[in-house]
Amino acid sequence: MLEWLIAPFTYPFMQTALGVSVFVGVVCAVLSCYLILKGWSLMGDALAHAVLPGVVFAYLLGLPFAIGAFVSGLACAIAIGWVKRNSRIKEDTAIGLVFTAFVALGLIVISRTPSDVHLTHILYGNVLGIEPGDVLQTLLAGGIALLVVGILRRDLMLFCFDPNHASAIGLNTTLLHYALLALLALTVVAALQAVGVILVIAMLITPGATGYLLTSRFDRMMALAIGAAALACVLGVYASFYLDASTGGCIVVTQALLFFAALLFGPRRGLLAQAIGRRRAQRAAGARSPQRAV
Amino acid sequence: MLETLWHWVVDPFQFEFMVKALGVGVLIGAVCAVLSCFVTLKGWSLMGDALAHAVLPGVAIAYLVGAPFVIGAFISGMAAVLLIGWTSARTRLRADAAIGIVFTAFFGLGLVLVSVMPRMAEWVSARFGYLPPLLDIRKVLFGNLLGVADADLIQTAIVGGGALLLALLFRRDLLLFCFDPNHARAIGLNTRWLYGLLLSLLALTIVAALQTIGIVLVVAMLIAPGAIGSLLTDRFDRMLLLATGASVVSCVAGIYASYYLVASTGGCIVFIQALLFMVALALAPRRGLLAQFINRRAQHNAGIIRARRADTQEG
Repeated sequence: MLEWLIAPFTYPFMQTALGVSVFVGVVCAVLSCYLILKGWSLMGDALAHAVLPGVVFAYLLGLPFAIGAFVSGLACAIAIGWVKRNSRIKEDTAIGLVFTAFVALGLIVISRTPSDVHLTHILYGNVLGIEPGDVLQTLLAGGIALLVVGILRRDLMLFCFDPNHASAIGLNTTLLHYALLALLALTVVAALQAVGVILVIAMLITPGATGYLLTSRFDRMMALAIGAAALACVLGVYASFYLDASTGGCIVVTQALLFFAALLFGPRRGLLAQAIGRRRAQRAAGARSPQRAV
Repeated sequence: MLETLWHWVVDPFQFEFMVKALGVGVLIGAVCAVLSCFVTLKGWSLMGDALAHAVLPGVAIAYLVGAPFVIGAFISGMAAVLLIGWTSARTRLRADAAIGIVFTAFFGLGLVLVSVMPRMAEWVSARFGYLPPLLDIRKVLFGNLLGVADADLIQTAIVGGGALLLALLFRRDLLLFCFDPNHARAIGLNTRWLYGLLLSLLALTIVAALQTIGIVLVVAMLIAPGAIGSLLTDRFDRMLLLATGASVVSCVAGIYASYYLVASTGGCIVFIQALLFMVALALAPRRGLLAQFINRRAQHNAGIIRARRADTQEG
């Protein structure tokens, strides 16, 4: 058993993979709590896709991919805001329209450049073959995101819960809006190499949702989200090693399984607990009125 | 001059694959455009995105067991929709979070299946003597309009044509359902059935577009034409026509662009659609940015003239 647990980590690349995925999982989990509160799941989806052209341009210009991805993600967020303000298009339509245009631009440029090795890595990530330079970029982007969230913790929470109240007590909600968008873009950048564009979305929604199912207190929700994400990353890396399957895919499926476990078996609001509670209430009611029970 | 232009227009179609691409592109463009009008009205953009991603495990399994990919994709998409409905009914999560959790889980499962497929294919062939074809995931993600196999072409045409026909046949009921489900119920329409119908049509459209446009960009084709139409008119029939026109034009222009630029066909089509949207946003007859600007300017000038007149009268 112990050997089975240790065996994967005799390879240095597995050690790196585990460390990077857990780190990325934790950063995404922290952001996911704010996104769930704010109802910005679709925004995470959009920004994750929108980094594509930035990465390609950065690659062509020889810049670090993180810079291109960040700029591209922010540009997408700003374009979405602009389209929404200047037309009667609904927000979800504006988001879908803009991010797909960014993806299309990225694809056009990729199809015009000879080497497309990077495309598969951007799309699904390649945590098992991640290079030291990319690890550094991930740590830097993720570290900055964590630091900023740590500083703005209370303000961001208030902004997500109740923007009107936040602006009434004198917080700059426009600034917070863009701060949260920038944090989202940074997190996507951090997660890009590990799990890839498409699965970042899962890491930005599922842990927060799992925490939200289990508690009503924000700090507990965050602790649970971080725990669930870290656990899913560890289990996912093991699963991918022993099944020889896509690491990102395994992590995300594990996260979803944890979510549905919380949904079914959560202590108070879980479906099982609710069913038992109803059964007990019925029995208690029956005991109180024996005639009806007969 | 005219002759070179003529050659420029006709030359691509000396290749059979370009003729096929044009035919399929126009069909898919029309189907997606019709559906996109309902999707924009109903606010279901995210649902299209989710369904598109959720088909992946079904496609992988269909390849493994040798079933038509269309069936696997449809079942997988509908399973995701049911799970989304169940999750958002049973929790206090917002619908968009439930959608996000479920579709990424399906997509993740699809990636896992695709990554173990070579070994599963070996197992299947050793056991049943049938060697499943390998699934090229890039084809599912981004499609390949220029390299559609004939068998896939037939599946695409049947599914797409069917979806288009059904959508046009039930367009009045669907329209009412999208605009005002309560009213639809009040006048005796079966809204549960219409809900199911619209979702199935959406799934069928995505399935039809799968091999040609790919699941990442089909989302765009299910949003942009409807958005363009809604910028230009308030009447649904006109919106349908404008959306279909915009979509078909972008498909044709995109195919040309991809031929002459040697670039991704799906990317070119979607990018041209986005450009058309920006043009509509800027130049729409009444609500466009330019029209609004001129209007404001005219009102401003009228105000100045009125003020001057008042001044001279007082003077």
